[in-house]
Amino acid sequence: MTVSDTYILKKSNATVFFAGLAREMRLIAPKKCFGGDVMFDLVESPEDIVWDYGHDIYPPKRFLLPHQEDMFRYSDRGKLEIRDLKDAPRQAIIGIRSCDVKAIRFQEKFFGGQIVDPYYSERAENTVLFNLVCNKPPKKECFCICCDAGPYLDSGFDVQMTDLGDRFLYEIGSEKGRKASETGLHMLEPVESKDIAERKRIELQADSLFETTAYFAKAMTFISWDDVPDRIWEELGSTCFRCAACTNLCPVCTCYTVDDRPEADGSFVRCRSWDSCQYSGFTREASAHNPRPTFGSRVQRRFYHKVSYQYVSRDGTHGCVGCGRCVSACLTKLDVPSVLKRIRRSMHEYLPDEQVTEVKP
Amino acid sequence: MLTAARPRKMWGVTDQPSANLYIPMPAVIEDIVDETPDTKTFRLRFEDVDYAKSFSFEPGQFVEVTVFGAGEAPIGFASSPLEKSFIELTIVDRGKVTGAMHKCKVGDRLGIRGPMGNCWPLEEIKGMNVVVVSGGCGLAPLRPAILQILANRKDYGEFWLLYGARTPADRDFKYDLEKWAERDDIHLLQTVDVADADWNQNVGVVTTLFSSAKMDPKNSVALTCGPPIMIKFVTIELLRMGFSEDRIVTSLERYMKCGVGKCGHCCINHVYICTEGPVFTYREMQALPELQS
Repeated sequence: MTVSDTYILKKSNATVFFAGLAREMRLIAPKKCFGGDVMFDLVESPEDIVWDYGHDIYPPKRFLLPHQEDMFRYSDRGKLEIRDLKDAPRQAIIGIRSCDVKAIRFQEKFFGGQIVDPYYSERAENTVLFNLVCNKPPKKECFCICCDAGPYLDSGFDVQMTDLGDRFLYEIGSEKGRKASETGLHMLEPVESKDIAERKRIELQADSLFETTAYFAKAMTFISWDDVPDRIWEELGSTCFRCAACTNLCPVCTCYTVDDRPEADGSFVRCRSWDSCQYSGFTREASAHNPRPTFGSRVQRRFYHKVSYQYVSRDGTHGCVGCGRCVSACLTKLDVPSVLKRIRRSMHEYLPDEQVTEVKP
Repeated sequence: MLTAARPRKMWGVTDQPSANLYIPMPAVIEDIVDETPDTKTFRLRFEDVDYAKSFSFEPGQFVEVTVFGAGEAPIGFASSPLEKSFIELTIVDRGKVTGAMHKCKVGDRLGIRGPMGNCWPLEEIKGMNVVVVSGGCGLAPLRPAILQILANRKDYGEFWLLYGARTPADRDFKYDLEKWAERDDIHLLQTVDVADADWNQNVGVVTTLFSSAKMDPKNSVALTCGPPIMIKFVTIELLRMGFSEDRIVTSLERYMKCGVGKCGHCCINHVYICTEGPVFTYREMQALPELQS
């Protein structure tokens, strides 16, 4: 954190500040939706932004990798016509949590690289992220602190905001963040040393409040070298409902499937939609041969992708940001902390108190 | 040590005519050949003349074929890479897209994205004896390699082709097999699981051919493609004969959607078959625990 990039934005100015930004791009922020739940959505007016929300179970990755995305439209009647439906609006995601920022950075790297996915990359290029730091973990399932993904980011953010009561600490971390701040530059006030001290206090306090831990170190060595006994995977897989909530709610997961959807006018739209490695059809070939035939092999696949050393060396970081969504969503404890705990214990007998709660092989 | 070869052209990396790598290039079906009751070979020519001229691929690579109105499927090249005027794809009627493709007629239009994937290490194995082992429709992805080797026959040592199919009628490229059987610089051995009255060659799985093949595993390389169970037993047999692990080269297949390493379907452990495969040596495959079972 360099002081020259750090400012103060008064909460009383925040609405006007983001209204200025809204003239340049669409705003996506947590807002009170029908029924009272706070979820990320397009906000018409910055007044609708809910600043003191906890955590959105539906990750904001959908504004970069939509649940279903039209790729191009074609019609082949005599003459072949193909129209690219690529749509990358300029947008700012305000109030996103640090874990989700880290996840989006992960996806940007994955969809970029040597072969560039034009849909995701252009959308990411046009997106500015304003992450709002969690002053305390919003739920007990959070474990971003085990994943180098929060509550504060050291790098990789565009603008990082900390709630200091009546004002936000406003840290600019990228050129994109600087450009997005230009419209309201006169509202950004110089930072005082007590604000920096307060941020440090909040960071230390937040760090001490995490309840969930994830044993990545041991799980990584076991999973990477295929040392987890098969019976452990089958035991874990035996409880899976194949609902794919874990991968659909995961802010890091990127897998998609492609379909050609017929339209009323006789043309077709090639669209892609989220897919999940937890479905048995994910790898089933036309010959009916399925390389991952069992629930256990698919759970193993998911964790290999999330925490194996091979993927870490490929992607630069492991594929979990500790957002805790799989912990909230999975009915059978196939979430990251629980499975890693099971793997850590896989070579040993259970401790007495664990025998009560966990299924013995 | 032998590894699978990097191709000169790869879709999305070195070769991609439009800004969007998901949009296919139109091609017209020029000819359809019935290979077996459920397999046809489609001869295609790109509509864009300039693109057709610049198009090239290497044996072992594949394309994503769009049947407009049905979807997209990955299919290996089956024609010689030296043939510049058309490409051929040999397709078994199995799923939605391949089923729709079998309903296509000469003159229909398809979409092609490719070439994708890596290729057989044909340059690297020059001077060696080559053993090609294939089963059923696994001959199709090997056909470009066979045709290229035969076109440069003097660059290679002994050439063995071991081919197994369910029945004599289920053999692909019967017209090629007849020609190859007459050449004296090819050791062609064929086998079928179930013979008919006219069949006068071996009956049994493809590994039964090894006992009558007097090949020297030293300075030899094996190229294999076929159903997973065949690959498994052929590899065991080749290792037993003394082939080293990096001299057994296999083309793998997986369910695929994008062909450019993004959709996640074809991943085996951390390796994306579409961009880092489909061709692997047995030694490279051993680093992938998911393939060991």
